[in-house]
Parts: sequence; structure tokens; C-alpha cells
Amino acid sequence: MAVTDVRPRPAAAPRPSPVPPPRRGFLAHVDAKWSPYLFIAPFFVIFAIFGLFPLAYTGWVSLHEWDLGGAGAFIGLDNYADLFGDPDFWNAVVNTLGMLVLATVPQLLLAMVLASLLNQKLRGLTFLRMGVVLPIVTSVAAVGIVFSQIFDRDAGMVNGILGLFDVAPVDWRADKWSSWTAIATMVNWRWTGYNALIYLAAMQSVPRELYEAATVDGASKVRQFRSITVPMIRPAVVFTVIVSTIAGMQLFTEPLIFGQGGFAISGGSLRQFQTLSMYMFEKAFREFDYGYGSAVAWMIFLLITLLAVVNFLVARRGN
Amino acid sequence: MAVRPRRTVLAALVATALAATAACGGGTDSASGKTTLVVKTFSQFGYDGLYQEYEAAHPGITIKEENIGKLGDYLPKLQQWMAAGKGAGDVVALEEGILSQFTAKPDQFVNLLDHGAGELKPNFLEWKWKQASTPDGSKVIGLGTDVGAQGMCYRTDLFAKAGLPTDREAVGALWTTWDDYLATGRRFTDAGTGAKFFDTSGGVYQNILMQQGDHTYYDTSNKLVIDSNPGVRKAWDQTVALVGAGLSANIDQYSPQWNAGFKNGAFATIPCPSWMLGTIEKQSGPENKGKWDVARVPGDGAVRGGSFLAVPGQSTHQAEAAELVEFLTSAKGQTAAFKAKNNFPSSPQAIDDPAVRDFTNAYFNDAPVGRIFGDSAKALKPVYLGPDNTPIGDRVANALTAVEQGKLSPDEAWAKAVDDAKRLVK
Amino acid sequence: MRGSQPLVYLTLLAGIALSAFPLYWLFVVATRTNDVVGDWPPPLVPGGNLGDNVSRLFSTEDAHFLLGMANSAFASVTVTVAVVFFSSLAGFAFAKLRFRGRDGLLLVILGTMMIPVQMGIIPLYMIMVELAWQNRMQAVIVPSLVSAFGVFLMRQYAERAIPDELIEAAKVDGCSTFRIFWTVVLPALRPGAAVLGLFTFMGTWNEFLWPLAVLEADNPTVQFSLSQLSTTYYTDYTLMFAGALVATVPLLLVFVAFGRQIIGGIMEGAVKA
Repeated sequence: MAVTDVRPRPAAAPRPSPVPPPRRGFLAHVDAKWSPYLFIAPFFVIFAIFGLFPLAYTGWVSLHEWDLGGAGAFIGLDNYADLFGDPDFWNAVVNTLGMLVLATVPQLLLAMVLASLLNQKLRGLTFLRMGVVLPIVTSVAAVGIVFSQIFDRDAGMVNGILGLFDVAPVDWRADKWSSWTAIATMVNWRWTGYNALIYLAAMQSVPRELYEAATVDGASKVRQFRSITVPMIRPAVVFTVIVSTIAGMQLFTEPLIFGQGGFAISGGSLRQFQTLSMYMFEKAFREFDYGYGSAVAWMIFLLITLLAVVNFLVARRGN
Repeated sequence: MAVRPRRTVLAALVATALAATAACGGGTDSASGKTTLVVKTFSQFGYDGLYQEYEAAHPGITIKEENIGKLGDYLPKLQQWMAAGKGAGDVVALEEGILSQFTAKPDQFVNLLDHGAGELKPNFLEWKWKQASTPDGSKVIGLGTDVGAQGMCYRTDLFAKAGLPTDREAVGALWTTWDDYLATGRRFTDAGTGAKFFDTSGGVYQNILMQQGDHTYYDTSNKLVIDSNPGVRKAWDQTVALVGAGLSANIDQYSPQWNAGFKNGAFATIPCPSWMLGTIEKQSGPENKGKWDVARVPGDGAVRGGSFLAVPGQSTHQAEAAELVEFLTSAKGQTAAFKAKNNFPSSPQAIDDPAVRDFTNAYFNDAPVGRIFGDSAKALKPVYLGPDNTPIGDRVANALTAVEQGKLSPDEAWAKAVDDAKRLVK
Repeated sequence: MRGSQPLVYLTLLAGIALSAFPLYWLFVVATRTNDVVGDWPPPLVPGGNLGDNVSRLFSTEDAHFLLGMANSAFASVTVTVAVVFFSSLAGFAFAKLRFRGRDGLLLVILGTMMIPVQMGIIPLYMIMVELAWQNRMQAVIVPSLVSAFGVFLMRQYAERAIPDELIEAAKVDGCSTFRIFWTVVLPALRPGAAVLGLFTFMGTWNEFLWPLAVLEADNPTVQFSLSQLSTTYYTDYTLMFAGALVATVPLLLVFVAFGRQIIGGIMEGAVKA
């Protein structure tokens, strides 16, 4: 704490004020010590009320037998024990991680490329930059119908193109590999521009002088990108990796849209693409096993935490 | 304490934000001496006229209906109201699939027998009454509204193309049993019209299952009997035979492809509950008027879907709410709902009311749907469903889809369905 | 850079075409009749039914579409202003100020992002019952006034966008910490804040599960309204698409406004120095 306090006394500066008040030093001390807490307080106050309670309550529920009839017996960790022996749960874990990899890696690489293309002097820049982020304003209903058209088994666009190369039509919902590919495509389509925008904002705070100096030194564009841009936007990259991981672990909307019919929440006839969030929702809100669904929710929470810590450690080691 | 300006700024900001949000909410309902009954519904129940009539006859009562368009959006809300112990209002609509979970735990709802509903038993089809009763009959948690009485919709143009009869009586005569339906499907397929015979295995299976005796996955003591009840296996085998003959288009119901399939003629028949006629008409569009018709279903009658009205235990006006439920589900109320939104009645008196009985549907070649659906509903014997009936049905339907997709053999799929059901109930 | 320009343009234009297609298609269907849905090949040129579809949209009484738009606009603006302000404040503190427990508290904020959203619905609803906020807009707004995502984004952004010397210089001038934030930090954070504002607005506007849980159909948000346009048994696609299209217009407006902030390349003099 003392570190921030070591700063030049303003009183020493040539000021019109004739009396340098000693209170100023005291106030400065209070300011330095308490301002940070004040700045972060709004988040914590609102979170404590609307975030912490649901988390704790869900934990409490997960220790009970809890169905439509309300709270039942306290059963300790039984729900969790069941979960470890539940093949549908592990299936959802595998699906979620698989789609996470298929969606995150290409998405972030593409976003990086897009951002660097957009971060230069081009004609019609406003139009181009806005164009790539259009997916985030498109309504989910439209996305659903368009993509169900694209990946339709009988008359879909992708199968049509495959047909041109004499490849047999694919029943996209029937297999893991095909459903994961289709869903990852939807995710990548929706969020690549979003991440590109984050990278772009970060790239714009890189001082131009660095590039100018590098150009004078004869460094190529690619070289400049690798040794100036990437290190300078590193915090943004860490941010997108962590956020994409968290969002990927909670993947819900895209596979739900992709799945069809009244039992879409099961993610395919053999649960080929059911994610953890879908499994939780199926248990808690469709089969009304709120206790078990809460246990799934806590497992998702713990899994994401684990992954985020790994992410963090990797990022720190790279520093 | 040194209060620095920025703190006051911050405090003011927070206060403004809170004030702004608080300002948009009105006051709570003022006590005007009137009792407001909140009715929670999904989709369309067609009660507006009935509410007005009821309010006129009961000056102390105001009715407010809170409707959610899709059942899929309604169910999570229902779960949340039950879990929170608040929010469910005074009357809730329950779809038959969810009802069976509540009859196993009836305490969440008012026992309507305590409010004189016992006398109303003859006003409902026997199986409809039993669906909302506890197995021992000591409690009734809901009164029936509509039923998804089933017919078999078919495309006359595709039938003509395949050289099959198109008249609905002759078509009905083609399939007295499901074996006949299979044989007809084969004839249709051999004619090579390019269309499949039916949309998906799930609807057909559900239809056959409900005709197999007095229980399905559970016996009346709520014991899981999916693998020992021959009726379930029979329905399964019959459906697998239909799929094996290549009759299914394998298109999920309510997907965009399914909706489009009505118009494109992707399938020639579909087991259609009464509430599906509206869907077929709107999705097929005016240019296909007269191409669809309705015949009887194979086997003896069938229903799929249908709802109930119940009074949640958390209601603070239980007696008034029970009275309203009895009014809305009366034969008169059901007839009115049928006229408003085509919800097919579950009351035998309403089914025999000329307004229902003589009803024909112009879009479907003036098919006498009132008679077809009425016969279907009345022919059905009561079927006991049991607590996890819907989730188990979902799993069986998924297993059938896996067979359609060629991912599992029928035996593997059956073993999986049984195993899934057992794990679910455990 | 000049030599590769045609390639750059081509790549970008292809990307934009892919991005924009569903939005364009939304427009096409909104101008047609229900007959075209499910047609193959899908319709690619607009028809003449937009006016008809839009007027049907506003005359569907049960959907309360105008109210839904107004509610969502109010919620989105309030939430966006609050999130951008509070996130910048906290992000600045985490990136540039030193205080005891800083890393631990940042981890807590990160942790809050890991709570699966769908699960919070029931306990959150119970809080709203206690506050008697059911079916009131504050139930949608207040829990969203802060965002862990926002704090984290602004912290990562501030770390590089604000040179320490800038803050030191301001301190030498005797500025209080809040003054430094207001006059020096906030302007430098503008591109990041614009991105956050854009995302927050979109996110609030598109929120569905929680408004559906806590509101009723007579006081909906825009997505709730849109969902009310179809019933369990029937989906009127052109009506839904017309609704989605009208609901996208405010987003496009915000998009253009915030987009300019980001795109203008606002390199405040202070940062450049």
C-alpha cells in the first residue's frame, strides 16, 4: 500500500495556493488507499446480491433430492456420486470439450487475421469493419433457419456442393464428427467478427511509431505482426482465449438450434451433440430433477474453473 | 470522514440508476375489494369469451390470463414457480405430458374433490378423468380441457398418383389395423411417387402405443414395466417394421423441413391429432387447399396430447379458482373453446353437441372432423401413464430415430431405450 | 501493403458476404409470404410483402411488440451505460492501481463468469419474488448493471492502452484518483469502451431466458415478444422474420454509432505521446 503513497508532494509544486494544507497529504493517502476498493465496489455489491446467492443456493439444492414437489431429503453428495457413474454426463463432457476445440482454435486464428487485415489503410474501411461483425446483430431465429437449411440432409447447401464432387450426402445430425463440425461452423460464424473487433481495438492502441521504426529497420510485415502486434495485444488474446473457453464450456444456443424436434435438448438421437449446459437444462427444466440439474451446474462451474486456471497458468508462463 | 466530491458523484450515479429502474414499475394491485384470479396458459385455450361471461356472473371476480405462446417456453416457468413457491397464480394449464409427474406428487395442487368436483366425473371421458387422478382415486388435481383426438391425415393427390383410393371412407377401410397400414405403405412406395409414406416414426409409435391396453411404461403401482409389458414391445416392433419397410421420411416434427414437407408433399400420411389440423392448413398454404383429407386411424381410436386446468396449492383464492376451473372445463366451456380455437373437447356431452359433432373442415375437403375425432376419442380405453412417462417416451422416440438413421439395429436400439428408462427411474 | 491490396479486399469481401448472408436472408423472407419458406433453392431476392408483414406484426395484440421494443431499448441503454462506466472504473483499478487482494479479487470476478447462466434462474427468481419485482423491468436491468466480462475486458485493455507514465504525470499534477480516471483514463479507454458498449447493448437486447422467466407476456422484452409470435403448434415464419427484422433496426443504429467510435481510430493524443 505504501508504494502508491510515495509520490511527489503536490505542495512542493509552485502553486498559487499560499497555504499547502497538511490535510492534503492525509486525503491523498486516503484516496490512494481506498479509491481502488471504491472503484471495484459496484461490481461486488451487485454481484453479492444477484450472483453469489444463486451460486450458493444451487450448491445447496444439489445436495438434496429436489423435484417438482419441492425440496426433498438431504442426500449429501449422492447426486454427485450418481453423476460420476452417469454415461450421459460424461458424453456431454466429451462433446463439450470436442466442440470447444473445434470452435475456439480456428475462430481465434481467423479473428486475428481479420483484425490485422482491417487494421490498415483501406478504402471503404468503415463498411468493411462493420461488415465482419454483422453476425452479432442477426437474430437467433434467422440463424437457426439458415443453418438448418445449409446443413439439411435432403436439400442442404453443403450436401449439394459435396454432390458435385460425387460425395454421398451427409446426415449431419447422425454422427458426432458431422454434428460437431456443423455446430462449430455456426459458433465460428457467429463469434469470429466479435473477437476480431476486440483484437482490432487492441491493435489500435499500439503506437504507430513502433511499426515505423521497424519498417525503417527493414522488418517485413509478417515479422512486424509477430514481433510487434502479437506481443502488444497479448492481454487481448489472453482475454479472448479465456472468454471463449468459458463460453465454449457453456455452449447452449447453437446446438439447441441445430437439434430439431420436440426433444432437441437431448442433442441428437444418441446425444451426439448434447453439451453440458443442455444436459443440465434437460435435467432441471425438462425432467424437473432440480437437485440433479444443480449438481450438473456445479460440475460445469468446477470444470470451467479448472480450465480457466490452466489457461491462466499457461498465459503466465508465457510471460 | 472526508467525503470527497467523486464519492458523491458516484453515489449520485448509483442512486440515479436505481431510481431510474424503480420508476418504471407501477404500484401493486390496489385493493378494490375485487378478487383477481390469474390464469396461466400456453398456446391458445380460447377462453376470452368465457372469462367475460364468468366475470359478468360473478361481480367480485376479475380474471387475468397470462399466456405463453410455446409450451417449450412455458414448462421452465412452471418449474420455476413450483420451486420458488410463488408465481403460479390461481389456475395453471397442465399439458398431459407434465401432468403425470404431478399426479405422483399431488401435494402441489389443490385436491379438486374437496371443491365438489366429484359430481362432475360423468362430464369427462373416463380416461381423461383418470389421467388427472392419483392411482387410488382419492385426489383429483386437474380437470380436462381438450384432447388430442387422433385422425390420419393424408394427401389425396399423392394417393391418386399411387393408384390408391382417395375417398376418406375407402381410405379408412384400407387400414383397419396397423398391419394394413404397413401393406398400404408398401403399395404406395412401390408406385414410386417420390414421397415417403409418413413423416417420422415418433408420431406413429405414440399412436400405436396408446392403443395397447390400460398402461404403458408403468403399471398402476408406478413400477417400471417397459421391458415386461408386451404392449410396449408390440408398438415398438410394429413401428420398426414400418421403418424397416422404408416408409418413414425421417423428418423431425416441428423442424423447418417438417413444416415445409406439408407443402412439398414430402410425406403422404401423418397421424394428426385435432390440434394439428391448423398447423397443416397454415404450413401447406392456400394453394394446397383440398389436397389434404382426414380418415380414421388404424386400430381403435387414439389421442395424443391434451390439457388440464389445475389450482396450485400456492393460490390464495383456492375456492374461487376451483369454481372457475369447473366452469371453464364444463361441457359448455369446452364447446365454446372448440368454437374459438378448435380445441377438441374431452367432455362426452360436448363431443355430442351438434356444434362439435357436425363440424366439418373446409380446408380438408369438408372432412367431418367433429365425427372422426369424436369417435376416435370415445373409442379409446383409459391408459395409465405414470410419473416419468414423457421423458421415457422421449428416449424411446430417440432410439427409433437412431434406427431410422441407421445408427443402431432395432435390437440394440430397444436395449438402449430400456436401459435409458431404467437409469432415468432409478 | 499496397501490392497485396486486391487480395486483402477479396478476402474481406468474401468474409463480409458470409457474415451478412443470414441477415440478408432475414430481410428477404420478411418481404415474402409464408409459401417460400422451405422452398429449394431458397428465395434470394426480396418480394413485395414487407409492409403487409410489418403491419401484421404490430397488429398481433398478444405479442405487445412495440412495448417489447420500448422495454428493451430502455433496458439496453441503462445497462450499457452502467456496465461501461463500472467496468472501466474497475478495469482501471485492476490494471493500474495497487491494492491489497487485487489478484485474488480479480480471480473472484473471473470466477463469476464461470457460473452457468441457465442455473441461476430459479434462485434469482426467488430474489425477485422477495423484492416483488416480478414482471417489472428492474428485475431484468438491475442484476445486469455490472458485468464480469466487462471488468475483465477493460482490465486487459487498460493494461496496455494506458502507459503508467501518464498516470504518474497526472499524479504529479495533484489529481485525485477519480480525476485521473475521469480526465485521463476514460478517454484513453474509449475504443475498448466502445467495443464493450456495443457488445453489452447487443447482449441485453438479445437476452431471452431470464426475461422470459421473470416477465409476463403483457410486459415483455423484444425477444420475448418475438417468441410470442409463434405458438406451440404453428410457426408463422414471415411474421417472425418481419419481427426479427424490425427488432434488428435499433441494433443497426447502435452498431453504426458505436462502430464509428471504434473505427474512427480514436487515438487520443495522450496515448500516442
